[in-house]
Amino acid sequence: MSAARPGLFGRSGLGVVSLGLPVVMFVLLAFGAQDFFSVENVTNVNNQITALAIVSLGQLLVALIGGMDISVGSAISLTSVILVSLGSWVAVPVALALGVAIGLTNGVGVALFGVHPLIMTLASMTFVQGLALLIRSGAGGTVPTVLVDLAQGHVFWLPAALYWCIAAIAFASLLLYGLRFGLRLFAIGSNAQSAALNGVRVAGPRLTCYVLCSLSGVVAGVYLTGRIAAGDPSMGQPFGLDSVTAVALGGVQLSGGVGSVLGATLGTITLGLITNGMNLLGVSPFFRGVLTGLLLLCAISLQRRKAIGI
Amino acid sequence: MQTHAHAPSSPVSGELGIAVEFCGITKQFARIAALTDVSFAGEAGTVHAITGENGAGKSTLMKMLAGAHAADAGEILLGGRPLLVANPAEARSAGVATVFQEATLLPNLTVAENLFLGREPRRNGLIDRGAMRRQAEDILEKIGVDLNVNVACGDLAVSEQYLVEIAKATAQDARVVIYDEPTAALDAQGVEKLFRLIDEQKRSGKLIFYISHRMGEIFDICDTTTVLKDGRHVRTCRTAELTRDGLVALMVGREIGHLYPPRKPRPAEAPVALSVDDFAPIRGGPAVSFSVYRGEIVGLAGLEGQGQRDIVRALAGIAASPAGEARKHDRQGRQTRLRPSVVAVVKAGVGFIPEDRKSEGLYLSLSIERNIGLGMLRRAPLASRAQIDKERIRQLMRAMNVRARDARQVVSALSGGNQQKVMIGRWLAAGIDVLLVEEPTRGVDVGAKAEIYRLLREFADQGGAVLLTSTELTEHLGLCDRILVVRGGEIVAQLPAASATEEMVMRYALLGRPQEGPVQ
Repeated sequence: MSAARPGLFGRSGLGVVSLGLPVVMFVLLAFGAQDFFSVENVTNVNNQITALAIVSLGQLLVALIGGMDISVGSAISLTSVILVSLGSWVAVPVALALGVAIGLTNGVGVALFGVHPLIMTLASMTFVQGLALLIRSGAGGTVPTVLVDLAQGHVFWLPAALYWCIAAIAFASLLLYGLRFGLRLFAIGSNAQSAALNGVRVAGPRLTCYVLCSLSGVVAGVYLTGRIAAGDPSMGQPFGLDSVTAVALGGVQLSGGVGSVLGATLGTITLGLITNGMNLLGVSPFFRGVLTGLLLLCAISLQRRKAIGI
Repeated sequence: MQTHAHAPSSPVSGELGIAVEFCGITKQFARIAALTDVSFAGEAGTVHAITGENGAGKSTLMKMLAGAHAADAGEILLGGRPLLVANPAEARSAGVATVFQEATLLPNLTVAENLFLGREPRRNGLIDRGAMRRQAEDILEKIGVDLNVNVACGDLAVSEQYLVEIAKATAQDARVVIYDEPTAALDAQGVEKLFRLIDEQKRSGKLIFYISHRMGEIFDICDTTTVLKDGRHVRTCRTAELTRDGLVALMVGREIGHLYPPRKPRPAEAPVALSVDDFAPIRGGPAVSFSVYRGEIVGLAGLEGQGQRDIVRALAGIAASPAGEARKHDRQGRQTRLRPSVVAVVKAGVGFIPEDRKSEGLYLSLSIERNIGLGMLRRAPLASRAQIDKERIRQLMRAMNVRARDARQVVSALSGGNQQKVMIGRWLAAGIDVLLVEEPTRGVDVGAKAEIYRLLREFADQGGAVLLTSTELTEHLGLCDRILVVRGGEIVAQLPAASATEEMVMRYALLGRPQEGPVQ
C-alpha cells in the first residue's frame, strides 16, 4: 500500500496546517497591515491569485495520481504569445488545441511509456518555453479587447477575476466529487495495481489528468494575458513550481491519492497572502522566496510528522 | 482449527453441470514452467478445494481464471464458452469473482466506495452516493458484517478489511467465486461468517474454488478436491474419498535427483556457530530456539509465510525490534551478541543472501569485481583507499565457475545462477563464516543449481555454517543436514535430512506437532 493513508480529514489531506496557515496569515495581515481590508487590496489579491488558483487545480489533478506537471507554466507563456500573434477568434481555439497537444505528450510519456513525470514535464517545459520565445522574443502586442474585458471587467459590481476562480473551483469539484472519474483518480493514485484489479482502467484517466492540467495552463494564460493586456513569452515561468508549492501547502500528497479542491485553493490563498503582505509591509519582494521555502518545509514536516518521526 | 464453525454442507451437489473447465493449461514465467497441461472441471453448486505444496501452481491457475495472467497454451471454458481475454475486468463481467490473498482495497476510499469501485451507481451522470451507501449497507448486512460504510478502509482492522474484500467479491453477481487462503487473515468469528457465506453461495448454485492447505478446512467444507504438484494436475475427486494421510501423499513424492553434493557425517564435537535462544522476530510474537553447528547446513522448512523468512531476516539484523537472544560464536569460541543492525551482524561475521538478490543484494550496475570487492572492504574504514585484490577475485570466480567475459562485466548482464554466485562470492571474499540464505536457487536454472549447492556444501565443509529457507522441499531433503519445520512462527519438528521424507516434513508443516496432530 502506498503512503496514501487517511489522516484527520481522510483523503482530503486537509489538516491543521493546510487549514490553519491561511487563517494565521490573514490574522497577521489584518493586524499588521493597515490597508489590508480595503476593497482595492482585496480585489488586488484576488486578481493576483486567479491564474495560480486555476493552475493549482490542474496541478491537483496530476498530483492525485501521483504525478507532477512543471510544464504548466510554459503552457501559460505559449498561450500568451499565441493570443497576441493570431486573430482574436482563432487564437483561443489554437491555444486550447496546443494545450491538449502538450498534455497528451506528457500523458503518453508518463502513463504509457513510464517516463518519470518530472523528466517528462521538464522536457516539455523547456521545449514549449523555447517555442514561446521563438514566436515572440519579448513582451508586447495587442490583446483582443474581448479578452481584456473578460479579465478586467466587472459583473454585478464584482470583479471578473472572482468569476474565473469560482468557475475553476466549480469545475474541479464537479470532476473530483461528482463524476466517477474523480473517485477513480483517488483509487489510481493510492495504488494503481489494486485499482486495476478492481476493474478500473488506469492509463486513460492518467492521460486525461495531464491534458486537463495543460488546459488549466491555457485558461490561466488567457486570463493573465487579458489582465496585463499584453503578450509575454516569460509570463508563465514561476507558475510551474508555484502551483506545486500551493498544492503541497494545501495538504495534497505528491505521492498520490490524497488531496482536495479546498486544499489546493487554500494553498493558493496562502501564497497570495504572503506576496500581498510583503507588498503592504514594504518588505523586499525577494524575501518572499525565503519565507515561502521555509514555510513549505515546515508545513510538509508537520503534515507528515509520523513519516519523518518528529 | 475450525471444525464446528460451518453450517452443515448440503448432501446433494454437482447436479447443476460443469461451471468451469480447464483444458490443457500451460504457463511459463521466465522460461520456468509454472503450470503444465492442467485439465480438470469444476461443477456448479460445489465447493472445490485447490490444494498442493508451495509453488504447486494453485494461485497461478486461479489468477488465470480471474484474468490476471494469460495462458501460454490451453483454454478455460466458463459455462462452456472460452474465456478469451486475460483481463480482470473481462473476467469479472464474465462472472468470476475473486477474493485475492493480497488486499486490493484502497486505504483512502471508504468501505462503500471500495465495494463499488469500477461500477459506481450513477444518477444523471453523477455518482449517486446515497444509493451507493444504501446498497453497501445491504451487502454487508447480507453477509452479517457490521461496519460503518463511510469509514476509510485504511482505518479498519486487518480482519475487517478482509471481510470487506469478501463482501466485494460477493456483491457482484458471480457464477464462480475464488477464495485464496481466505482464513489466514480472519479471526474465529470471521471464519464462521465466511463458512456460512460459502455455504449460501454453494446453495445458490455457484462454484466456489477454495485455495487452501489447511486440512481441517478442506475436509470440513469442500465437496471436491483437486491436488496440484509442481504445476501438474495430480487428481480431482470427491473429498469424501480421501483421508488426510492420503491427501498428503498426493501432494508429495518427487525424485530428489543427483543435484546434491554428498554430505559428510558431522563430527560429534562440532562447535556451535550460531545459537538462537527464545528469539522472536517480532517482540511478543512466537519465539524459536535452535543452534547451527560448524560444518552444517540447516534448513527452515514449512509452508510459505509461516515465519521462516522473518526468522532469517531478524537474525540478519533487518527486523526493527526482535526479542530474545542470538549469538555468533567464532572459531576461538568467543561470542558476539547479534544486535538488530545489519552492519553489526556483518561485522560479527554473518552474511545474508536475500531472496530478491536483484533489488536487495547486488549492485546491478556495477561490475563483478566491484560487487565481490565490496565484501573485501568490509573491515576497511570509509576514508581508506578502496583497494581490491583482483587476483583473489579471479581465484574466486574460477573456483565458483562464474560464467562471465571477465571480472569487469556488469552484474545485470549475468544469468540468475551467476548472479547468485557473485552474491556468495562477496561473502566468501569478506571472510564470513555464517551464511543466512533465503531461497538459494530462486530463478536459477538446473545446471547452476547444482553448482550453488556445491558451493554451499564446500563452505560448510570448510567450517562454515549455513541457515537457509526454501520453498522447495527437495532442497531441504537433498542439501541440508538438518531440517527445522516451522509452522505459525514456531519450530514444530527437527529432522535429520538424511532420513527425512517429503511426507514427514509436509505432515509437520500441515498438521503441526504430533500431539495436536490430525484433529478429527
